[in-house]
Amino acid sequence: MSALLQLTNVNRSFGGVHAVDDVSLEIEQGTIFGLIGPNGAGKTTLVNLVTGYIRPQSGSIQLVAGEGRAGAVELARRPPYAVAGMGIARTFQTLRLYRNLTAIENVLAGMHLRRRDDTLQQLIPIAPFLKEDRRRWQRARELLGRVGLDPDTFGNRQAATLSYGDQRRLEVARALALNPHLLILDEPAAGMNPAEKDRVRALIQQLNQDGLTVLLIDHDMRLVMGVCRHIAVLNFGRKIADGPPATVSQDPAVITAYLGSQAQKTAVHVPGSEEMDVAATSTAVSAEPTSPLLDVRDLQVSYGAIQAVRGVSFGVAKGEIVALIGANGAGKSTILNSLSGVLRPHSGTARFGDLDLTAAPPDQIVRQGLVQVPEGREILARLTVRENLELGAWARRNGRSAHRDIEGLMEQFPILGQRRDLPAGQLSGGEQQILAIARGLLAQPKLLLLDEPSLGLAPQMVDTVFDVIKKIHNDGVTILLVEQNALRALEIADRAYVVETGRILLSGTGAALRRNPEVQKAYLGG
Amino acid sequence: MDFFIKLFTDPVGFYNQHELLIAQIGINAILAISIFVTFYSGQLTLANAGFMAIGAYTTVIMSLYLPTPLPLNILVGVVLAGAIGFLVGLPVLRLRGVFLAIATIGFVEALRLGVILNVPITGEGQGLTNPSADPLGGIVPILISVPILTYLVWRLTHTRLGQAWAAIREDELAASSNGINVPAYKMIAFVISALVAGYAGALETHINFFVDPTEYSVTRTIQILTFAVVGGTTNVIGPIVGALFLTALPEIVRQFAAYRDVVNGVILILVIIFRPQGIVGRGGLAIIAPRWWTRWRTRERAAAAH
Repeated sequence: MSALLQLTNVNRSFGGVHAVDDVSLEIEQGTIFGLIGPNGAGKTTLVNLVTGYIRPQSGSIQLVAGEGRAGAVELARRPPYAVAGMGIARTFQTLRLYRNLTAIENVLAGMHLRRRDDTLQQLIPIAPFLKEDRRRWQRARELLGRVGLDPDTFGNRQAATLSYGDQRRLEVARALALNPHLLILDEPAAGMNPAEKDRVRALIQQLNQDGLTVLLIDHDMRLVMGVCRHIAVLNFGRKIADGPPATVSQDPAVITAYLGSQAQKTAVHVPGSEEMDVAATSTAVSAEPTSPLLDVRDLQVSYGAIQAVRGVSFGVAKGEIVALIGANGAGKSTILNSLSGVLRPHSGTARFGDLDLTAAPPDQIVRQGLVQVPEGREILARLTVRENLELGAWARRNGRSAHRDIEGLMEQFPILGQRRDLPAGQLSGGEQQILAIARGLLAQPKLLLLDEPSLGLAPQMVDTVFDVIKKIHNDGVTILLVEQNALRALEIADRAYVVETGRILLSGTGAALRRNPEVQKAYLGG
Repeated sequence: MDFFIKLFTDPVGFYNQHELLIAQIGINAILAISIFVTFYSGQLTLANAGFMAIGAYTTVIMSLYLPTPLPLNILVGVVLAGAIGFLVGLPVLRLRGVFLAIATIGFVEALRLGVILNVPITGEGQGLTNPSADPLGGIVPILISVPILTYLVWRLTHTRLGQAWAAIREDELAASSNGINVPAYKMIAFVISALVAGYAGALETHINFFVDPTEYSVTRTIQILTFAVVGGTTNVIGPIVGALFLTALPEIVRQFAAYRDVVNGVILILVIIFRPQGIVGRGGLAIIAPRWWTRWRTRERAAAAH
């Protein structure tokens, strides 16, 4: 086996931060290479260095073989489109689809370098000139099929209307249109449930069997360990380990740096294998509440022609933690957004105390004490931690009490107190999530809606965030939690509802649902 | 109303009566195509009036001083507009969004105030008399050009070039990861836009006896921009419909005479509020009610129920 891509002593810093610090790597032809590390370890920076989006300050990045050349090519100072021309395709951590184009158009744009420039011929649409056009169309459909998107169903849909998992797949199809030698996948399974992750894993293995070299970056240890033949670990921009999965996972430096001591269990556990204990703090309430704080009846919400929520009824009593769990695209976030007034349901009722949530304006909903912490955190990156919190208290009339509460929160969450004057954008993902929750608390919620608080976080940070949620609950805030990390959510929830394709499939106490084999089947894809 | 009655009952009479208006619609449609090309590639450029001026002045100056035939004069004007487009594009296309818009406006003003008003050969702001003007004959090339250019640009959006433009418009970073040379394709769009605008300028002088420098100011550019915004930019038909609608509108609302601009403005505002995707655009003929409108309606209904 010969090397395909070789990085030698690559350096890149931003300001005083060494994002990538003297990293050397060798990716062999035909392998699946895993690149892991905690948030902010420099993984994405490394990908951007290889693909030409960022220039290294020193070091070399060489493509050893490829594209009909024998000699090595230096990639380090080439622009991204030229790197793509060398046969290196990538996906992006944050989806970057051509959102207003259809799925097929997305893939056709990906074929840019792999088609003759027949622009002038195409101006005259006579049959022989269009034959190639049809062939390309056919090829685009094949690529969609290859990543598991049925071209008849999805081909002509606008990329933005696809579900999150399908958008991820479409991005892979677009990258494949380049006929790459090396495919770089930047967190392809982020925010997916285990069943979807298994599909991603099967896809990666299939592509690799077809002869493609893959560089995989992901948080999910189960995915990375299961699929990669070689793994490199980054921490604070440095490479701390490099080797086959079995060696790397035993490396003590890796375990402390990445997994944390207690989180290892969570990261590599197999669903259903752990002890099913009822969280001691939860008061088990199995029945639907008789006089709920939040009462939702037969809620239906649509985006244009697509019905996302198809008649959902549930309730949340004062003092509970209630979780909505289910796969991506099940309609969980849509339910929350229609409760907080961001979206309007087209039928059904939702009452919060005396307030009709289907008609009340969002500002009034917040003032009555129903506060949402949105998915993706939505913090203001350029403002400091403190300024973000001040904005959270903006709706309040009483400036002095707001000030006192902000100070209180800084004490309660030292992670924020220590960083009060840092721009929020410099916080790690988990710290940003805690900031977002703290900002929600400043609106003095009676009911806090949390949308995917663990999304995209390293396992260690997930623990911290869930601890924060428990703490808030103990302080008397009722919580409605939406999570795709079902087991974690069920651990802390008094009751939970399993949502699938816009309907409630199952409900029960958190502990009961964890034991329910149907949950594992419906949700975990077991 | 008379306008439409005449259009349907007496098309020939209508044509004779409104020939200048029809020619102007044609010119504006070509300008709409010009701005559509840059819009389609995701660039907010407002240099069209400047390239028009280059096409117009070159053609007229050549007619004044050289014995060359008119089609050649027009061709030279168009090519010169494209060449200057290329030179202007080199520095300017590094900018994005509103900064690009401001820089291109700067170009239009620098050309008009700096060059046209100061150089003797352009009449130093007094304008030029066009010796080869032919208002009646001039309409023929315009009416032929509009469908041909529309067709070519419509096809172009379906080619490799057009798909690269769409990709750049949607996401430049992703486009470059697909191997699309973003700066080069932006330049192609900018130059094509300049060529088309230069052509519109050259044709327009042909139906006027006089080249007036005030025609080529930022006001003109903004007018062209409104064609695209009102018509919609999802396909080439949008800006053309916008040009047709906005050019004919003052004529249609003629009976309001004194309030013509007011009516014009109100219609523009209504289109932008209730049809933000433009007259032509995705979503068929759907009228999109803005959120405050529905909220206000809900509140009204709630009040009525009480």
